Amino acid sequence: MLLSRRLMLGLTMAGALAFPALAGEGPSEIDLFFPVPVDGKLARDMGTLIKEFNETHPDIKATAVYTGSYDDTLIKTRAAIKAGKPPAAVIMSANFLLDMQIENELTNLDSLIAADGATKAQFLGQFFPALHGNAVINRSVYGVPFHNSTPLLYINAEHAKEAGLDPDKPPQTWAEITDWAKKLTKRDGDKVTRWGIAIPCAYDYCGWMMETLTMSNGGRYYNEEFGGEVYYDTPSMLGALSWWNDLVAKHKVHAPGATPGPAVSTSFISGNASMMMLSTGSLTYVRDNAKFPYKVAFIPRNVRNAVPIGGASLIIPAGLEADKQKAAWTLIKWMTSPEKSGWWSRATGYFAPNMAAYKTPEMVEFLAKNPDAKTAVDQLEVAKPWFATYKTVPVRKTLEDEVMLVLNGKKQPKEALVAAQKAADELLKPYNAETALKLP
Amino acid sequence: MRSTSRRGEMSLAEPAALPVAASVPPRLHILTRVSSTLKASLPAYLLLAPSLVFLALFTYGAMGRVFVDALYARATPKAPVRFVGLDNINAVLADPAFAGAVINNLIYAVGTAIPSIALALLFALALSRTNAVTSALRAALFLPVLIPMVAASALFMFVFLPNVGLLDHYIGRLLPVLPNWLGDPDIALWAIMIITIWKNAGYYMLFFLAGLQSVPDDVMEAAHLDGASPWQRFRHIILPELKPTFLFVTVIATLNAVTQVDQVFVMTQGGPSNATNLVLFYVYQQAVEHYDIGKASAATLLTLAVLMTLTALSFRSLANREGGP
Repeated sequence: MLLSRRLMLGLTMAGALAFPALAGEGPSEIDLFFPVPVDGKLARDMGTLIKEFNETHPDIKATAVYTGSYDDTLIKTRAAIKAGKPPAAVIMSANFLLDMQIENELTNLDSLIAADGATKAQFLGQFFPALHGNAVINRSVYGVPFHNSTPLLYINAEHAKEAGLDPDKPPQTWAEITDWAKKLTKRDGDKVTRWGIAIPCAYDYCGWMMETLTMSNGGRYYNEEFGGEVYYDTPSMLGALSWWNDLVAKHKVHAPGATPGPAVSTSFISGNASMMMLSTGSLTYVRDNAKFPYKVAFIPRNVRNAVPIGGASLIIPAGLEADKQKAAWTLIKWMTSPEKSGWWSRATGYFAPNMAAYKTPEMVEFLAKNPDAKTAVDQLEVAKPWFATYKTVPVRKTLEDEVMLVLNGKKQPKEALVAAQKAADELLKPYNAETALKLP
Repeated sequence: MRSTSRRGEMSLAEPAALPVAASVPPRLHILTRVSSTLKASLPAYLLLAPSLVFLALFTYGAMGRVFVDALYARATPKAPVRFVGLDNINAVLADPAFAGAVINNLIYAVGTAIPSIALALLFALALSRTNAVTSALRAALFLPVLIPMVAASALFMFVFLPNVGLLDHYIGRLLPVLPNWLGDPDIALWAIMIITIWKNAGYYMLFFLAGLQSVPDDVMEAAHLDGASPWQRFRHIILPELKPTFLFVTVIATLNAVTQVDQVFVMTQGGPSNATNLVLFYVYQQAVEHYDIGKASAATLLTLAVLMTLTALSFRSLANREGGP
C-alpha cells in the first residue's frame, strides 16, 4: 500500500536523523567546546588552530564547537555530561574547575601526565607559577592553563600630560592614584565632564575587581586551600571597598553606580575617563581603538602589590572513553605548546601561560613592537589564583550585589560586607557540613 | 474502498469510510466500536505521527522531566539525589530572591503591557486608513518587531552607556547628574521596560489594525449621522468592538512579560543588586549558577501553573463573550 510505503520511508528518514553517528569509522573523532569571552574574531582564529591540528594529526579528527560565553560553556558541558556524551576537551573558565571537581565532572589528569613519563612538577613547571593554583586541586592536576589575564591600570597619557602628571611614572600606591584621579577629573560647576578613573562592576567583573583591590590591600578573597570559606567581612576587604566607595562618594572622581566592562573601555577610549582598571584581555582592543597615546601599569598597592589571575584552562570532562581521552590529551598538549600558546596570545591579547612561549622568535619580535604586552607578563610575578569555591558564581554574586549597593550610595561598606558574608556562609553550608564540619 | 492504488483517490476514499463507521448499530460491543473508530482514524494518526513524536519528545517530554526533577534534591554535594516531594517548591516560595523576582516581574508586566497596548491602540487608530503614508508609517512602527531581541539589547546597551551613550549624550546636557541607566538599581528595571515597549508596541498594533477592520461601517456611519462626537464613537462603538482584541493582546503581553526577557540576559544579568531579576532569569540562575536542578524545575512549574491558569481564564472569558448574544 502506498500509505505504508510512505510511512516506511518516513520512519527510515526519522531513523537516519536520530542516529547520524552510526555511519563511518576512521580517525577518533573528538569535540572541543570553546567559549569566546571577548570579540568575535576569536571564533575564526580557533577554526584556524584546529584545522592545523587536524592536518598534522591524521589519526584524530577534532571539531571546534563554539559554545558562547564562559557561563554558557559550563551549562553546555554539564548538559553534555548529563546526556552521557561529554565533549573530549573544553576551554573552561579557570575558576569553575573547583566547583566541577566537587561535582565529580572532571578527569584527573595525573595518570595522563604519568603516562607521558613526566612528573607533575615537570609538567606544571612549563607554566607560570601564578597559574598553578587554579589548575591543581588536592595536589592533582585537573586543568591545563590556556589563556590567562591579570587586571591592569590603563592611563590616557595625553590627559596625564595636560594635568601636569608624568605618564612614564605611573601611580604606584592608592594615595598616588587617588591624587592622579583628582587631578584628572574635570568639572563644570558640580557636573563632572571627565572622570579620573573607572573601575568595572558587573557580575563576574565586580568580584574580580574586589579580589584585586583586596589583594593589593594585603588580604585574601577566599581560602585557596579549601572551597568552603570566603573572607568578605575582613579589614582588608573593608579597606578595599571603602576606598572604592570614597572614589565615588567622597572624592567624586569615579562615576557612581555599577559600570560593566565594555562601558568602562568605551568610556576610556572616548576620553570620558582618564584611567581605568581592566583585564589584559582588553589590551588588543585598546591598542586597536585608542586614538591617543596610552600607558599600562601595575595595579597600585595600598599594602602590597598583588593581583588575581583570570582566563581559562583546558579540561577533560569525566566519563569519556579511553581513546577519546587520549586524543583529547594530544590536542591539549598541542594547544598549550609554546608555539601555539604564543600564537593564540598574539591573536587575543591574553598572555601565554606557557613560559617558553616568550622565548620563541615570533614572541620576542612582538614584544619588541608592543612593549605594553610585557607589563601583563611582568605583573605575573605578584599574581595569585582566582577565587574558586564551592558554588563559585552564587557565592561571588552575594558580594557583587552588596558592592553594587555601595557604589550606588545605598549602603555603607561595613554593613554591605557583613550582609555579603552572611549570605555566602549560608550558600557554603552544605559543603562545609560534608567537609570541615563533618566530625568523627 | 479498495481502489487506493491510484493516487488521487486516497483523499476521496477516506471520508467515505466515516459514514460507514458511524452507521454501525450503537449496541455493538464497546471494544469493537473503539477498534472500528480507531481503524477509521488510523491513517489520520499515522499522518500526524511524526509531529506527535517530536511534540512528545521535545515539548511534553521535557515538561514531564521538569515535573519529575522538581520532586528530587540532594542535601549535600556528595549525597545522592533523593525524593523530597514538595520541598523544592517550598524552598522556592521561601526564597527572598524568588519573591523579589516575582515582584519585579509584576512591575515589569504591568509597566510594559499597559504602555505598549496603549501605544499600539493609538498607532492603530491613527493609521487605520490605508494609503502610502500610513503604510510607510506602519512599516516603520513594525520594524522593531523584526529585530531579534538579543540584537536589540546589544543596540540599547550602547544607547544606555553611562556618560558616552546616545541617551546621555542628548539628555545629559539637561540633567545635572548623568543617570547610570543600567547600573542604578532604581532605574535599571525601567530602562529594560522601555526596550520591551519599543519592541512590542508595533506588534500589538497589528492586532488592533485587524480588530478595527471588524468595526461595522454602517454603525459608524449611523453614529456619524446622529451627530456622535469622535470621542463618543470611540468610547461606545470602537472600544466595545475591540474587546476581544484587548483580551487577546493582554494575554500575549503578559506571556511575553514572563517569557521574552532576553534583554535581561544580555544587558544586566538580573543586576544591579537583583533589581532586574525576573522569574525566568531566576530559574536560569538556579539551574546554572546554583546548579540546583530541583529548585529550578520547581520554579518553572510554579511559573507554568500561573501562566496556564491565566491563559485558561482569559480564553474562557473570551469564548463566553464570543458565544454570548
